[in-house]
Amino acid sequence: MNAQLEAMPETAILDLPPEVVKLAIKDLNFFYGSKQALFGVEVAFAANAVTALIGPSGCGKSTLLRTLNRIYSLYPGQKATGQVLLDGEDVLAPRVNVAALRARIGMVFQKPTPFPMSIFDNVAYGVRLYEKIGKADLEARVEDSLRRAALWEEVKDKLHQSGLSLSGGQQQRLCVARGIAVKPEVLLLDEPASALDPISTARLEETIAELKSDYTIVIVTHNMGQAARLSDHTGFMYLGKLVEFGETEQLFTNPVTDRARDYITGRFG
Amino acid sequence: MDQHTITAIDADLDGLSHAVAAMGDLAVAQVKAAIDVFVRYDLADAAKVVRGDDALDLQDAEIERNAVRFIALRQPVADDLRRPIAAMKIAMQLERAGDLAKNIAKRVGRMEAAASEAQAASIAELGRMAADRLAAVVNAFRERNAQGAYTVWLKDTEIDERHDGVLREIVAGMVSEPSSVSDSTHLLFIAKNLERIGDHATNIAELVHYQITGQDLEDRPKL
Repeated sequence: MNAQLEAMPETAILDLPPEVVKLAIKDLNFFYGSKQALFGVEVAFAANAVTALIGPSGCGKSTLLRTLNRIYSLYPGQKATGQVLLDGEDVLAPRVNVAALRARIGMVFQKPTPFPMSIFDNVAYGVRLYEKIGKADLEARVEDSLRRAALWEEVKDKLHQSGLSLSGGQQQRLCVARGIAVKPEVLLLDEPASALDPISTARLEETIAELKSDYTIVIVTHNMGQAARLSDHTGFMYLGKLVEFGETEQLFTNPVTDRARDYITGRFG
Repeated sequence: MDQHTITAIDADLDGLSHAVAAMGDLAVAQVKAAIDVFVRYDLADAAKVVRGDDALDLQDAEIERNAVRFIALRQPVADDLRRPIAAMKIAMQLERAGDLAKNIAKRVGRMEAAASEAQAASIAELGRMAADRLAAVVNAFRERNAQGAYTVWLKDTEIDERHDGVLREIVAGMVSEPSSVSDSTHLLFIAKNLERIGDHATNIAELVHYQITGQDLEDRPKL
């Protein structure tokens, strides 16, 4: 009858209704060589929503992100077992065309990684790679992507300058524009604002909030406030396990597990 | 694990809790003193009770200031956020309970004569119930005892029933002795103020429970 008297559970994972699920992760284990980094992760991410992954350094949140588009398979000795179902199709299955997969699941990294080419070509590069598209259509696509990434107004008069000439915050939004130009279904963001000042961070967060209507977004962040501001769902990871996953509002106002509570309130030992 | 990595957070939260508990003790003392001056019909002490309310107002303002500062500087979440929020709201309830005690003391000053022994005993009993409820929730807050708050909350009808009985007695007195209507009106308001102090104790019980568990008691069926 009284919540205080009930023991807190070790783990608490919210089940999403199947109709909203874009990515379903089933019994996912991950290994760096012989070292296991993820243990039986079982969770689903909703379409047209932002899911934040939080947890202390080394908890496996970036590793989890890296399995979702198989970016890890660029590195020898790294292996995932289990399933990552994108609209019901297993991303981890051997027959999957990894290049095509990464067009469906885009990624933005912690540090801005513009190509050493013009702003225009940075955005157009992936489009040219995956699609046969006319000049006018390509220009329209580049403009649309830059607008969605909230960068257009700042770069429209210098599209042929180097992407490297932009500020850090602009470079990061350029990477977001590049990521969305190939029209992915899912956008993965690994600490995208960690190197940005507060204004650039706010602009990037605004961009992410607007992109949500068209994409499924998963963001790894160390910034608790950012997870709370941006996301619909939050997953808390610890030692390679998903400890708590639920509505962001619930997790930040009344977490169900002790570990999640201790982490978000800064009681971690 | 109760210690925060940043120990100043614990110091701030503990400071807030101490301030609220101390304010609660003072509010209980003011309520008891108001009942006491009523029963003794002591006009000099009644004036002291009226002046004593200023301290509660100052404490309420300081708790609010410290809670707002904590929220702004520490940006707390989960139970760390509930504590300053509850502290502010409980302080507000205590401040209002203090106002009601002050009003009782003021009315004592305006009465033409002491209440009859029977009426004084009846109102004193109602006052004891209100003061006990308030003291019990202040203790539940101090001990972070959600169950204790819940127990107080469950019994909120007792004081209402007692209040109804006291009202009937006062009205019966007015009917049998119309010359007492002026003082009896003061008695009606004093009884009402005591009943409302009981309501504030109920509100505080809800806040204590919310602070500890994150859950509203209002969502639960009354037993």
